[in-house]
Amino acid sequence: MKILNVYRSEPDDTTKKLVEIVGRDRDVDSFDLNVDAPDYDALVDKIFAADQTICWW
Amino acid sequence: MEYNKVCLMYRNQDCTIDGIRSALGLAVENMYAYGCVMDEPKMEKFTELQVESLEMLRDMEGDVLATKASNCELNDLKPITIEELGEKLRDMTHIIPYGIIKA
Amino acid sequence: MSKSLGIFVTNSDQFKHVMGITKAAKAKGSSVKIFFTWDATKNPKQEAGFSELCKIADDVSICADSYKNMGYNVEDVPEGLDASKMATQTQHGIIIEDYDCYLSL
Repeated sequence: MKILNVYRSEPDDTTKKLVEIVGRDRDVDSFDLNVDAPDYDALVDKIFAADQTICWW
Repeated sequence: MEYNKVCLMYRNQDCTIDGIRSALGLAVENMYAYGCVMDEPKMEKFTELQVESLEMLRDMEGDVLATKASNCELNDLKPITIEELGEKLRDMTHIIPYGIIKA
Repeated sequence: MSKSLGIFVTNSDQFKHVMGITKAAKAKGSSVKIFFTWDATKNPKQEAGFSELCKIADDVSICADSYKNMGYNVEDVPEGLDASKMATQTQHGIIIEDYDCYLSL
């Protein structure tokens, strides 16, 4: 199971805790949307490669 | 047939009301739909319509949970800790951090 | 064959990401369906690029109830949509059931 965590803002402690539990013993990747110019092409590649994408707050 | 399991998480009052409606919409589409109210220090009391939505969601094997005891008591929501929520999320096909975190 | 992508949008400040991701996915040959709900139903009236997004994506619809809750008249169909795209949460269900990949924004 490959999980992609996408972050819309800097993750707080609650988000970090959930990310840690959901990703335990799983293949995990991440993408930061909270930047000036996100590489959308790379993001779409990651979404297509993942089994589940979670876009956190 | 494998049914989708969806959990929407809400971190402010505005999101909660609309998000429960979204969960109900998915339950109607034959999915297991859950909502979880997080952080909100004090929810408003559900209106009659919102209580009805919660009952309908439960009738369809979905539920709304909350991490704060005061909110569970006020609106008859099932209590859950962040750790328990994390474990529950592992079983979901779709995880939806709904809306925004209250500023 | 590229995977299909469904995007569920709840926040009005995510529009630039919706546009960027949709363009990138379409460039890869993907089919893209987008459903706007809650606060994001302000986008059709507030974002100049909304009608362009409707042309680029394969299917765009909005939650009519949310649109009304945001203070708009459901008879006032935004540019780029037709009345059939003033829809219900069923569209979210379609994204989850019928699309290979799912993203919420």
